Amino acid sequence: MNRMAKVSVVAVACAASLALASCGSSNPGSTGSGAAAPTTGGAATSSGEQVTMELWHNGTGEKGPAVFEKAVSDFEAAHSNVKINITIVQNEDFDGKLQTAMAGGTTPDIFLQRGGGKLNDQVKADQVMDITSLIDPQVKSEIGGNWALETLDSKIYAVPMSLQPEGFWYSGNLFKDAGVDAKSITDMTSLSAAVDKLKASSKSAISLGGKDAWPAAHWFYQFALRQCSKDVIQGLVGAQNFDDPCWLAALQSLADFAKTEPFNSGFLTTAAQQGAGSSAGMVANYQAAMELMGAWEVGVIGGLTPDKKNLPDLGFFPFPKVDGGKGDQAAMMAGADAYSCSIKAPKECADFLNFLGAKAQQEGFSEAFSQIPANSTASGKVTDPALKAAADALAKSPYTVLWIDSALGQDTGNAVNAAVVALLAGSADPAAALAQMQKAF
Amino acid sequence: MSETSSAATAAPEVELDWSIESEGGSVVLPPSAYVRPRRNHVRRNLEIIILAGPAILLFLMFVIAPVIVALYYSFYKWKGFGPTNADNFVGLDNYKWTLTNPEFWGAVGHNGIIMVLSLVMQGPLAILVALLLNQKMRGRSLIRVLIFVPYVISEAIVGIGMFLMLQDEGALNKLLGLHVGWLSNPKVAMWTLMFILTWKYLGFAIILMLAGLQGIPEELSEAAAVDGATFWQIQWHIMLPLLKPTIKVWGFLSIIGAMQLFDLVYVIWGQYIATTAGVSTMAWFMAANGRLSGQLGRGSAIAIIVFILSLVVAMIYQRWVLNRDTEGALTEKEED
Repeated sequence: MNRMAKVSVVAVACAASLALASCGSSNPGSTGSGAAAPTTGGAATSSGEQVTMELWHNGTGEKGPAVFEKAVSDFEAAHSNVKINITIVQNEDFDGKLQTAMAGGTTPDIFLQRGGGKLNDQVKADQVMDITSLIDPQVKSEIGGNWALETLDSKIYAVPMSLQPEGFWYSGNLFKDAGVDAKSITDMTSLSAAVDKLKASSKSAISLGGKDAWPAAHWFYQFALRQCSKDVIQGLVGAQNFDDPCWLAALQSLADFAKTEPFNSGFLTTAAQQGAGSSAGMVANYQAAMELMGAWEVGVIGGLTPDKKNLPDLGFFPFPKVDGGKGDQAAMMAGADAYSCSIKAPKECADFLNFLGAKAQQEGFSEAFSQIPANSTASGKVTDPALKAAADALAKSPYTVLWIDSALGQDTGNAVNAAVVALLAGSADPAAALAQMQKAF
Repeated sequence: MSETSSAATAAPEVELDWSIESEGGSVVLPPSAYVRPRRNHVRRNLEIIILAGPAILLFLMFVIAPVIVALYYSFYKWKGFGPTNADNFVGLDNYKWTLTNPEFWGAVGHNGIIMVLSLVMQGPLAILVALLLNQKMRGRSLIRVLIFVPYVISEAIVGIGMFLMLQDEGALNKLLGLHVGWLSNPKVAMWTLMFILTWKYLGFAIILMLAGLQGIPEELSEAAAVDGATFWQIQWHIMLPLLKPTIKVWGFLSIIGAMQLFDLVYVIWGQYIATTAGVSTMAWFMAANGRLSGQLGRGSAIAIIVFILSLVVAMIYQRWVLNRDTEGALTEKEED
């Protein structure tokens, strides 16, 4: 999901003619020119032939571009016939740009994959390569159960790079000052008690980036994870409705909690990740004690502290239990950052994905982005104590659910997020918000 | 069609004939009676093609073609990639979705409010300041420059700056010791937006009015002054009526601007909360529910609806307000 802040776009055009052939070839899409020559960079390229590929990633900031450049140059060194051009696209701009590229028949060969409904849309539009049979057996076994997030109809479409379980990221110092013990927060009552103590210490208890909607919606997802049974929440995409009463219960739980005014004032117009005034920035600068967020938070906060280093006192605890909920109270919600190949990419693309999935690269990425690697053999590089706590909680989770907006796809997902914002803004009650969400299907 | 405009179209023809007579009628190439009109004709067509061709081509490519393409996509449930075919053809569903969506009509209403408030708030203020600035006084050019500065600043920069200052924990609240949700409170947010718009676009209105005032001959006010008219009488009875055409053109631009308002709203309120804050506009609604939701077919339908609505408003204004007496400002009215 969303991660980086600064805009830093390096525009790389399709330079070599081979690249033109591979990224500008004919696509039976609606706007396609139809008559364009078939690609020479297609799956039939032999290993000796020169191949140029385009790579789009969202790793902005200082460490992101460097780790990708290193990965690419290492790969090129091992494959003398391959040249990879890197394009960095700012996270919030990524989906729109990719969509435009796909519409124009210029899909990059290798691109960031968010999974869920978005992957489903791309597969339906014949844009993503099925890499099931191309995955290196060792990588396959090392990534193990984490393939599930990139699998549709038993076919694998992407290699996951990092796992991003969600929970509360808090400042140990502010908790200590307010006399709150993070370990004591196990249910909603203890969370509310902690919020009261933190508010008394004149800092914001919980920061929330309502302007971007998805951070607000994640509160609803977490309440739904607790309120809804495993079958209901995992079956949501298939069911395509919010008929089960647990969804309303989740919205009600959120509305009840919001009534206690736990969020920073002005949370509706607070951005998630941009600048010191954002919800992540507030935690990074000790203006708010905690935030509910995915595991990318460690890196995001690290980029917003005054010295651009990870917050030394950052801690993690999972979302508390909700009384009477039908879901497993230890279940986690998580996403994954993954990389896919375009359906028109040469076969070297799958080699590159295997390369990314292997231990060495997973370690490098884990270090650079402060993330939990998808490849379990690389988990030794997770040193941040908060991140370790998140990884432990994920390991104990009986099942994992993908973000509801990612799972449902952009359109329905956005509508669900907007309904949650309306609920938190007080312009819709839980029933009205549910109706608004239901209408999105 | 009015006389002036028909005369204007006729004018080049006359000039063209003259030039050809005078040059081509020489000894060098004695033109036959048949050839000359045809040559004139060819040459005229060539001139039209050369002069107007590129503009027409650009207009067709970047205005007309996108409208047609948008119309096509508006009948599909199209996500921005993949084919359009019988499977995702949805007929008028996208239009139905938009026209039955209360949020869309909310946005239309907001555009209406912005349109009216812009005229009411900026118009009188701009005229007043322009009348004053039209006088000879010290520091006039400096004041003019200062007033025009906000208009020159990019909307994105204004948006980000205002967003930072007007947040609940922002500079303004801190400075005033207040706790007002300038951006988040739906009762306040529209006025915040109007304040920003007025601040930003007042300079443009003033410059336009000043230009209009400077086109009014000084003799008129001097004569009135000689006849004993006071300063305000001169402004009210002479300057204002003569400024009417300028005011009307400004009104037209302001209305179009209000109908198209997008960037400030998008930068300050983002993709999601403009509706909740009560400042969503039609263009914002299109972006939020079209491209940003990955529903480009639906976005196209919204674009077509907005296009038609804007066209109707523009045409009404053109027909009933702008056209009536754009002439007759400095000359006497002939018909009306």
